[in-house]
Amino acid sequence: MMQREEIQKIINEAIAKEFELDISLLVPEANFETLGLDSLDAVDMVVVLEMAFRVDIRNNFTMADFTNLESLHNFIERLVRQKENAGE
Amino acid sequence: MADKRRVVITGAGVVSPFGAGVDTLVNALLENRSGISTHTLLKEFPLMNSHVAGIVPEIDFSFIPRHYRRSMTKMSLFAMLCVTEALKTAGHAKAPAGTAVYIGSTVSSMQAWLDFSEKFLNKRLDLVKSTAVFQVMNHSPLANLQQALDIRGPGLGASNACATGLMNIGLAYQAIRQGTLESALAGGTDEYHPMMTGCFAIMNAASSQYNDAPARASRPFDKDRGGIVCSEGCGIVYLETLDSAKKRSANILAEITGFAANTETKSISHPSSDSIIECMSMALDSAGVTPREIDLVNAHATSTVDGDIEEAISIEKVFGKDPPVNSLKGHLGHTMAASGSMELIAVIHMMLGGKAAGTLNLDAVDPACAGIRHFTGTVECAVNTFVKNSFALGGTNTSMVLRRYGA
Repeated sequence: MMQREEIQKIINEAIAKEFELDISLLVPEANFETLGLDSLDAVDMVVVLEMAFRVDIRNNFTMADFTNLESLHNFIERLVRQKENAGE
Repeated sequence: MADKRRVVITGAGVVSPFGAGVDTLVNALLENRSGISTHTLLKEFPLMNSHVAGIVPEIDFSFIPRHYRRSMTKMSLFAMLCVTEALKTAGHAKAPAGTAVYIGSTVSSMQAWLDFSEKFLNKRLDLVKSTAVFQVMNHSPLANLQQALDIRGPGLGASNACATGLMNIGLAYQAIRQGTLESALAGGTDEYHPMMTGCFAIMNAASSQYNDAPARASRPFDKDRGGIVCSEGCGIVYLETLDSAKKRSANILAEITGFAANTETKSISHPSSDSIIECMSMALDSAGVTPREIDLVNAHATSTVDGDIEEAISIEKVFGKDPPVNSLKGHLGHTMAASGSMELIAVIHMMLGGKAAGTLNLDAVDPACAGIRHFTGTVECAVNTFVKNSFALGGTNTSMVLRRYGA
C-alpha cells in the first residue's frame, strides 16, 4: 500500500516539474491562483497525474477536489485507495 | 513620392545554424564557414540518401515565461528571439501600436504533429496536453509571439513554402507603401525535422554525395552539386515609413524600392526561367530601376541541379554578365521559410559593411550556370542596390529590390 507521504511527494514533484515551480511553493494551502496556473494548466495537470498514478481523474473529480493542494492530495489518495482495494 | 510612403528597414533579427543574432550570422558568412553538419538520425532510414542538415545550436529559451513557452515549438522560439532583436535594433522596447506581424512557416511543427498523431493513432487522447493545438496550428509562431510580446496589430503571415520569408516582407512593404499600415514585423521561421529531408530525398533533390564532408554538401551552381541541404532558423525585419524613421532618428538599414511575386504553373516542383525572368523584371519595374543599376544579385540557388540552372539562365537574361551573383545557401543550406528573410538581412549588412561573402563550395562552376558573374570567398564590394530572389515549391517566385538609404 502506497503511503500518503509518498502520494503527496509524487504529486508535488509532478506538478513542480510540469509547471516549472519551486517545490517549496507547494504548501497544502497553495491553490491554482497562488501558483499562477490557469485553465490550460488544469487540463495538463490531469494528464500528468493520470500518467503518474494510472488512475482516471478526469471522470471523477469535482471542482471541490481542486480547491487547494491539500484537497488535491486527498482526492488523489482516494483514487489510489480505490484502485488498491480493487486489487489493481 | 513623399517620404511618408517610402519604406525602410530599421531593425533585424536572426536565428541561424550559426546561432542567435545578426552579427553571428554575418561574421560566419564573411569567414566562409559552413553551418552544415551530419544528422545521425537520417542514417537510420534505408532510403534516406542525405545525412546532412543545418541545425541551430542549442539556445536557452528559459527567459521566455513558461506561460507563453508551453504553446511554442522551436519555430516560435526562434521567432521570439528574432522579433526581440529586430525591435531592439530598431530602437523599440515594444512594438509600436498598430504594428502588423507578417510571419509564416512552410508547414507547422512536424514534431508536434508526430507527437499528437502517435497518441491519436493509439486512441490515447487522454495523453494529449492542452497546448497541442497551439503548437500545430498553421499560424503558431505568429500567434505565439504576438501573445508573448503583446503585439496587438493584425497578424497576417503568409505561407508560401520556401518563399515565405521574402513574401511576407514583400506583403508588408506593399501594405506600408499603400498606406494600409505604418509599421510591420515580417519574415519567416522554420524548425528542422528529418521528414523535410525525406521529402526532398524521395524527389531525388536532397544532397547525398557529400555525407562524409557535410561542410561541402551545399554547393550552389557547382558542377558537383546534388541537391538541397535542409536547415532551420528565422529571419525577421522591422519595416516602417521613411518619414517615421526620420522623425525618430532611427538607424536605417536599407530601403525597399520594389517587389514582385508570380507563380510558375508549368510544374508544381520545377521552376522555369520564363517565370523567374518575369518575376525579376516586374520587381525592377516596380522599383523604377534598370538592370544596369543593380550591383549584386543574391540568388535563391538551393544547390539543386535544375533550379540553379534555371535561375542562372534567368539572371543572365535579365542582368547580363555584369552584376556579381552569390548564393548564401552554400554556408547555410536551405533554411526554408526563413531563407528569403535571413539571407536578405545578411546581404543588407554586407552592403553596409562593404564586404560580401561569395558562394561557398563553388569550386567549379557548372557550365550550364556559367553565364553569370559568380564570386567566391569574401570580397570588398560597393553595393548600393541589390536584388534578392526567393522561390518555392508550388511555383511561388518572389524578387525584391533594395538600396542603401541615401545612395
